[in-house]
Amino acid sequence: MIRRSILYFLLLAGALFTTLPFIWMATTAFKSLTEAVSPTLVWWPAEWQWHNFVETFQAAPFGRYFFNSFLVGFVVTGAVVLTSLAAGYAFARLDFHGRTALFGVVMATMMIPFEVTLIPNYVLIRNLGWYNTYAALIVPWCANAFSIFLMRQAFMSLPADYFDAAKVDGCGHLRFLIRIAAPLVKPAMVTVGLFAFLGSYNSLLWPLIVTSEDTMRVLQVGLTVFSGAEGVRLHLLMCASTIVILPTVALYFAAQRYFLESSLGSGIKG
Amino acid sequence: MAKSGFGFRVSGFGYWLWQKGLQLVHAGTCTLKRFTRHPTPDTRHPIPAFLATAVLLFIVGCGGGGGVATGQFKPINESAAVFWDRQTTETAELLRTIADEFNAKRPGALPVKVEHTGGYKEIFQKVTASVQAGALPSMAVAYQSMTAEYIQARAVVALEPLINDPVIGLTSSDLDDFFPVVLDTNKYPDSGNKMYSFPFCKSTLMLYFNKKVLADAGFDGPPKTWGEFLEQCRQVKAKTGKAAYPVSVDCSTIAAMIFSMGGEVASGRQTLFDQPAAIKTFELLETLAKEQLAYQIPPGTYDDEMALSQGSAAFTMRSSSGRTSIALLMKDAQDDWGMTAIPQDDPAHPSTVLFGPNVCIFNTTPEQQRTAWEFIKFFTSPEMSVRWALGTGYLPIRKSAANNPDIKKFWGEWPYNRAAFDCLPFAKSEPNLAGWQEVRTLVETAETEVLTGVKTARDAAAALKQKADAVLARQ
Repeated sequence: MIRRSILYFLLLAGALFTTLPFIWMATTAFKSLTEAVSPTLVWWPAEWQWHNFVETFQAAPFGRYFFNSFLVGFVVTGAVVLTSLAAGYAFARLDFHGRTALFGVVMATMMIPFEVTLIPNYVLIRNLGWYNTYAALIVPWCANAFSIFLMRQAFMSLPADYFDAAKVDGCGHLRFLIRIAAPLVKPAMVTVGLFAFLGSYNSLLWPLIVTSEDTMRVLQVGLTVFSGAEGVRLHLLMCASTIVILPTVALYFAAQRYFLESSLGSGIKG
Repeated sequence: MAKSGFGFRVSGFGYWLWQKGLQLVHAGTCTLKRFTRHPTPDTRHPIPAFLATAVLLFIVGCGGGGGVATGQFKPINESAAVFWDRQTTETAELLRTIADEFNAKRPGALPVKVEHTGGYKEIFQKVTASVQAGALPSMAVAYQSMTAEYIQARAVVALEPLINDPVIGLTSSDLDDFFPVVLDTNKYPDSGNKMYSFPFCKSTLMLYFNKKVLADAGFDGPPKTWGEFLEQCRQVKAKTGKAAYPVSVDCSTIAAMIFSMGGEVASGRQTLFDQPAAIKTFELLETLAKEQLAYQIPPGTYDDEMALSQGSAAFTMRSSSGRTSIALLMKDAQDDWGMTAIPQDDPAHPSTVLFGPNVCIFNTTPEQQRTAWEFIKFFTSPEMSVRWALGTGYLPIRKSAANNPDIKKFWGEWPYNRAAFDCLPFAKSEPNLAGWQEVRTLVETAETEVLTGVKTARDAAAALKQKADAVLARQ
């Protein structure tokens, strides 16, 4: 009993320690600028500045940014789940020449940093006439090696007997993938989807580079309006950040069970 | 070895590979265009096209953005002269309003469109990428170090033909109205001393002080010389226990201190960090740090401004454009602080550093270039210069601003409002040398080493001189 109490106490302390920055962010959203940038830690605002939210929404068209972020995020998520499902299955279950080599090539793309491909990708987008379009925000992120790897590992964990039994009943690869395999790897799919959504939702540099109009920009770009060369309006930045992280927190809690299952199963550290 | 733009050196084979890569980009994307735009794709070459695209991604990726841009670039927007800028919130709104007024004066002509493109780093990245894509905006905000890179890529145009144009150019009286330093800072010695950019947002380094802290230490005003500055810091520490000066490590501040001690930072392509003024600057910082009169704040933060506003420090040195943010922090104690010229070795011959970005015009179509120039001319007209200064906290860049009733009213509102403008005649800019951006990082490293006691002032200055000269010699 005592050991369990100590364990819970440590876990609680750890959880509190982890959430402290978020608590500070949320309370700073209601502080004045002076309190927000104070070198001494101020936890609670002396006077709650509700008008910070009005000022935040007046500083940039956050409504449009929300719409764009969700649109891009959901389309990218759907596309990544589909492509990684198909590619992961192919690498796990289909026998074809050069499978190992091709998988190696796909994995090798994980070693190339984003900064290296930024310029060529931008050149490609410009030459395709996709500059300042949703296509530029979505298409380059519709498949990625990490998600393919994750799905491949999930498919490899399924016993081969499942497919053999399905084959005896006349089931082809596509039907087996859709009707049998995909439901069995649902936690991995949710994890892939969650990573894809968060990656898209949190991206800044790419949307900033390939868009020019407010109508095409996303939330993370919107957050930059509070940082200038002469200083940061920290109270408004924290206010916007608090609003911006709400959907991702909600999404995490909704998908928490699958996320944990898959993370623990695949050995991924958060 | 061929020298490319953006600081990359490309070998003969690498350059050939790069050109082939670009040809493949063209072939690949043209076919992809057909493939994506028609319901029935051209099936003759889809696989080579995709292969080409894959190969080009590899080659271009390996190229890392090198490559030599030649000739004219396409405008990024055919129907508007796009201006990539970094202003946010109220200042962005003001810039857009000014652009709207400019457009309203020219019905039917190519309009100017201001686009927020993040900070300077993002603007540089986007211009770099756009150079490779062959399409650029009409103009963009740029520091001299950024423009120096654009010049190497032949992406920007020299402004003399536009400035001297009999119809849309500037008259000699117009040119005389600008403070010489704001024009000179846009001349590039490595490129025939031509003007490749025009002043946009200008400010000078200022000394901000907390009057209450100084009063507690027994002083009724800020220091005029570095000797007085050191003495005031010592008294602040002795009488209030506070570290007087939180230091924001910054190359421009070091340059300003060297200027104010009667020195220069470079002569030709040789730096002067081993000269008496530079050594004196580093020794002052060494003394301040050793006696715990100064401390280094985390990079990128504004902790010094906070410390000043909360009365836990006596001084900070920041750009005059920072006045608005300090005013916000001290809005309830406007009489408790002030700003003045930085201390000098010889107050009779003062000097400080000139800050602020410029605007450059890209090598696109003549119509885009003319529109960009006409906008710059409009934006820097005496009236707009004052309006921009009053709305943003930057300095009016014309001498005639001193006679403007609005600016006179502004100066009358607070005793220190005029201080930065009075520094403009003796402000100097850092050198416009290719490689100076790298030197800036070395200076900041040396400053950190002195403040943290890793090196003595003399050792840091000597090492800095050696490394900085090597960087400049490499260019």
